Amino acid sequence: MAVFTIAHLYPDLLNLYGDRGNLLCLQQRMVWHGHDCRIKNIRLGDNLDYSSLDMIFMGGGSDREQGLVYQDLVKRSDSFMVAIEEGMPVLCICGAYQLLGSSYLDLDGHLMEGLKFFDFTTRATKNRLIGNVLIKACLGGQEMTVVGFENHGGRTYFEDNSLQPFGEVLRGYGNNGEDQKEGIKYHHLIGTYLHGPLLPKNPGVADFFLKTMAQRRGIEFGSRLDDDIELTAHEQMKNRLI
Amino acid sequence: MRKILAIMVGKIVILLSRRLGNQGTDFPGRVARKIYPGILKALAANIDEEIFIVTGTNGKTTTSNMIAAILKEKGYSLVHNSAGANMLTGITTAFIKASDILGRNKFDYALLEVDEAYVPLLIHEARPRVVIITNFFRDQLDRYGELDHTINLIKDGVRNTDIELVLNGDDPLITHFQHDTGLHCWYYGFEDTVYDSMESEESREGRYCVFCGEELEYSRYHYAQLGQFNCPRCQNHNPHLNFTGRGLKMTPFIEMKVNDLAIESPYQGFYNAYNILAAVSAARLVGIEDGVIQKAIAGYQPRAGRMENFIINGKRTVLILVKNPTGLNQTLSTLLYDQQSKNLFVALNDNAADGRDISWIWDADVEVLAQDKAQIVKVVCSGQRSGDMAVRIKYSGIDSRLISIKSSLEEGIRAATAGPGEVSYILSTYTALFDCQKILKKMQQQDEAEKTVGVQQMQA
Repeated sequence: MAVFTIAHLYPDLLNLYGDRGNLLCLQQRMVWHGHDCRIKNIRLGDNLDYSSLDMIFMGGGSDREQGLVYQDLVKRSDSFMVAIEEGMPVLCICGAYQLLGSSYLDLDGHLMEGLKFFDFTTRATKNRLIGNVLIKACLGGQEMTVVGFENHGGRTYFEDNSLQPFGEVLRGYGNNGEDQKEGIKYHHLIGTYLHGPLLPKNPGVADFFLKTMAQRRGIEFGSRLDDDIELTAHEQMKNRLI
Repeated sequence: MRKILAIMVGKIVILLSRRLGNQGTDFPGRVARKIYPGILKALAANIDEEIFIVTGTNGKTTTSNMIAAILKEKGYSLVHNSAGANMLTGITTAFIKASDILGRNKFDYALLEVDEAYVPLLIHEARPRVVIITNFFRDQLDRYGELDHTINLIKDGVRNTDIELVLNGDDPLITHFQHDTGLHCWYYGFEDTVYDSMESEESREGRYCVFCGEELEYSRYHYAQLGQFNCPRCQNHNPHLNFTGRGLKMTPFIEMKVNDLAIESPYQGFYNAYNILAAVSAARLVGIEDGVIQKAIAGYQPRAGRMENFIINGKRTVLILVKNPTGLNQTLSTLLYDQQSKNLFVALNDNAADGRDISWIWDADVEVLAQDKAQIVKVVCSGQRSGDMAVRIKYSGIDSRLISIKSSLEEGIRAATAGPGEVSYILSTYTALFDCQKILKKMQQQDEAEKTVGVQQMQA
């Protein structure tokens, strides 16, 4: 039995819309896969040692809270990007996803800098994009549908056409409601507007992260988990949207 | 003329929907507003004294019902949307219901429970004198975006009016109302109680100063983020209280003093103590006599879905409305205090009145269900989002073999109450609540009928 560690970045600032459900899901599934999983809370100013971590999770927050997080994160953005390049599993939801881009233009016209990991921009609009979403994604060579709920004022546009979205929008808005793109995927990082939360009723996405975490430690999982209940929830929403 | 037509049609629709067995609280108002958009404004002008509105995340219904009970005890006539229909359409329905056909009969007061997002619109149409804000907790964020946005909506709505605010002085998210609006504010809150804790156990809402963003320091928590706080940077702290709750006792029913007035209530739980305190504060502002307030609060009993009891298969069955993480946590903590083994039924819907976004179920501490002392022996999930509810409960760590999914409410309730538990808890979100109640009433009647037949057979 191995012990895995997931860093939860700024849990007291970025934690909207049941974000902690993603962590509960990863933790429980890791236990069901026969291993242990710990959540390490990282707060403003805390030290981040990537070598001791198996995954990084960041959730959504309001504009003000994102500003505080940016100030803290920009100081260590270089090492964070190195970890991403080295294949660290990272899940960034909503506000945290927006932070990965180059900038965020808020409703009052203030331009907030992003971490500039990827060349995309976000601008806030008065009309929020709200509702259930269905997307088609491909993770670890496996095609799958992903369901969730989105609620974001920001619209995100890729400035670099080589960027890969997390998935293709089948129902709902995604990044901006225009180009059918939802989120971003890069190595083992996923940035997305989907909450709901994302992982519990998309066990395929949860296992993409868990398997990556295990493989990076040279561990293979045994038999598949019984996902009857999870898949029922997934199908319920999928059937409603199609 | 259109006004009379709107009232007539509204009243007919109310009657029809009642015939059809619907609660029908929003639809009649919607129809009437289509016929005559100024209907609410016109009827609101029939209030002789004042219009009071109650808003905030939790406790709106209970607080406004308690104020209504006090005003009725005093003998005032009032318009009151008592069914929890708290959007503009539901409030319009309440006015039409109370009105005569010409829309001319007068009332002393209107007491309106208002959804946070509709406060500005209502102020525009009905010109209230007093706005009572219970608290701001995370709730149904999907309709308006984040909590900050909701708070700003209300603040913008009351600005440039002569409204007086009655505010929870223990809630750090409310302290900037006076500064930002310049309105006259009255504050209620608690002195130290024996139930306080020195450390927070719950969600992080409002733990940062609304003025400067610094993390607040708490010397005591009364309930969730409500407590004694101060900001180390800008000195923001609890405002001076006008109405102070003292010597709170819950054994299990609530007793306390509000300033020097002794209050007793058949309600339980700290959150209800806040509701009572808010109601008593409002009543004192109106100038209601002590004895009237005491009598009304003592006689005011818990309502439908707020722990309503049934007997089914000879076992106690409790119906509880849940609509946000705080409410669900309150309910789960009640379950833990119950020593009997339990069947649990949860109906989760995602209609507009429930909140389209159901992710809030992950913000509640459902994990307590997996504790041995919770003694959960069966779980049935139902409603439009039965799957999501089942997933949530599965990830609490409970044995997943105990969980089943039944999308039909009736099948689900029958399956749950037939379980091996000594007591059944029926939890439901708003739009499934009245159907659950109907099913439980029917089952209870069938039980009674069978019992009568059984007794007759025995006697024969």
